[in-house]
Amino acid sequence: MTVNPRFLLRLPLLLIGQAALSLHFFSLVSLAAPAVAASRPDALKIGVLAPLSGPYAAGGTSFVQAATLAVEQANAEGGVFGQRVTIAVGDTQGRVDVAKSEALRLVSREKASALVGAYLSEETVGAMEVAAAHRTVLLVPVAATAEITDKVRQEYKRYRYVFRVGYSLPQWAEMIAAFLSDRKVRRYAFVGAGIRWNLELGETLERVVAPRGITPVYTAFYSPGNPAFDAVAVAAAAASPDIVILADPGRNSVSFLKRLREAAPALPALSIGGALGDARLAASIPLSAPVYVQAAAWRGVSPAATAYVERYERRYGAPPVGYSDTLPYDAVTVLVAAWRKAGSAATEAVVPVLERGAFPGVAGAYRFDAAHQARWGTGPGALHGTFVRWERGGALIVFPPRQ
Amino acid sequence: MTSPLPQVLLDGLFAGGTYALMAAGMALILGVVKVINLSHGAFFTLGAYVAYALAERGIVSPIAAAPIAAVIAFAFGVFLAKSFVNPVRNHPFALPVGTLACALLFEQAAQMAWGPHPLSIEAGAPWIGPGGLVIRRWGVIAFLSSAALLGGLKWLLSARPGLPLRLIAEDEEIAGSLGMDVEAIRYLTFGGACAMAAAAGALLSPSGAVTPTMGRAPLLLSLVVVIVAGMDSVAVIFLLSIGLGIFGNACAWFLSPQWSYVALLAAVCLLLSTRPAGIVVPAGRRD
Repeated sequence: MTVNPRFLLRLPLLLIGQAALSLHFFSLVSLAAPAVAASRPDALKIGVLAPLSGPYAAGGTSFVQAATLAVEQANAEGGVFGQRVTIAVGDTQGRVDVAKSEALRLVSREKASALVGAYLSEETVGAMEVAAAHRTVLLVPVAATAEITDKVRQEYKRYRYVFRVGYSLPQWAEMIAAFLSDRKVRRYAFVGAGIRWNLELGETLERVVAPRGITPVYTAFYSPGNPAFDAVAVAAAAASPDIVILADPGRNSVSFLKRLREAAPALPALSIGGALGDARLAASIPLSAPVYVQAAAWRGVSPAATAYVERYERRYGAPPVGYSDTLPYDAVTVLVAAWRKAGSAATEAVVPVLERGAFPGVAGAYRFDAAHQARWGTGPGALHGTFVRWERGGALIVFPPRQ
Repeated sequence: MTSPLPQVLLDGLFAGGTYALMAAGMALILGVVKVINLSHGAFFTLGAYVAYALAERGIVSPIAAAPIAAVIAFAFGVFLAKSFVNPVRNHPFALPVGTLACALLFEQAAQMAWGPHPLSIEAGAPWIGPGGLVIRRWGVIAFLSSAALLGGLKWLLSARPGLPLRLIAEDEEIAGSLGMDVEAIRYLTFGGACAMAAAAGALLSPSGAVTPTMGRAPLLLSLVVVIVAGMDSVAVIFLLSIGLGIFGNACAWFLSPQWSYVALLAAVCLLLSTRPAGIVVPAGRRD
């Protein structure tokens, strides 16, 4: 037998290519391994849409980890009407087209009974179309654009399968405004990645805080691919705000905060994108001025929140960030509770139950309004969210004031 | 400080130092081995993770991490050159695809080892200069390291010890006929360039977040710098890197941060359209 020497020369290339592909797919599949391994024909499947690659992979991974934890919890409680719950994961890559095709795959090929996702607003709007076309329940944990609930309100018959567990932009702005008032902030700078969610939140926040006498003195959005941090940090500091609001859900929030601390060590910052809720990151940021983080829930807010944080930490070795993990966890918990209440996973049975019921989660009891938006805000009966301040030994809950 | 503009320009100078640091190794590979190494950014990332791994064990010193990262990257680089780059270097399409696959392989391996979440090392307080100018520690390190590396490269290429590199860059056949071990020199050059990228990653690790994909942006910008500057003048590579850093920051300041990258690439396209072979081209090789 003769071996072609050219083949031998190409062998390393083939091996490297093969290993790259294998590793790529293995790392994605392994995230959902516990649930996928348990998949049986009589199991109820939840399709989870999240970016596991690309600039938002960190948030997407937390998203899937939390959803997996919620499914494990549901199964530990006996599953849903005797059936186990499993998840199938679709990597949206932070792209609308991929989110749509993955939603379609989960619904048609994986036979998911319901969808949870996606991560970015753009992706979620795309996934909504698939949910509407296939009459599949879609629970939206983190995407905040008004378009999602506007569509439900305006075309109820088509989009009535879509429910948002996370906060809408006006609700989000209202909670931030209450926090800014509490901290006696009058001037703020708003900085973030130039993605749809940030752009819309910046505008909404400006409108919501105006009656409270709070004004933006600097607003900037950088390109997520190659952020020009230096000039933004210098300009934000030069505008002399009382606080810098950092609206970035990705890795850039860390780099920006480092630059900001160098440019203006005494300037407080509020991270609303979730990334800086990671204790490991917070430990490397100078605390020469307060670093606040907005979260849906935090350890110590309630027994349910503390139990969730401890469970998450035991399972994944690090505490949750309180946003991109907590809300997906609650989305799956709400969905499972609705299935149990409806006695069926059929969409037509689940939608009315979601519309009328109250569903306990880590952040509190979820109730949906006419536009299928969970009630977040500062009013009575609303879910409040939490603001914490990083200290050297951990985080301190600073708002809303504890009863 | 009365106007923030000097601060913006100073930060641009430091950002340029970062590009130059990566471009130094890239220029070496392009000039001597004559391949476009799309895994160069992965070695930058490797250096940052080495620094993070040391910081986790209580050694928060990127300067200490740099030589360790360089040694690891050198070994990987030589292995990569010998096992993959050398056999396929005459196939112009296979090589970029293959080195890109190597980069993806490393990114996935890093993601499995450390997770996709951003990690971070303490940056240390900056120095305060005249007029309240903030002098960033990592910026100074990037600037001085790139100046030293490119200065060293310039010396090497003009001195006697660098003769084999110059000769191989000019004509491999003649170098071989003179008894030089061309392949071995190519392996060592490739490994050395990878070591430079890893050292850069380690030195700059405290400046931002350490993530599996952090090497992508420096890779693109260093590639742009080397192609625009041409590989024949080390000084031009350094000056162009600094110029692009300042230009990018000035655009972010005067226009908008979102326009900074676009303006930078537009300027590069303009330069390439007027001088397609690079800013500095030896006589007789101009297009």
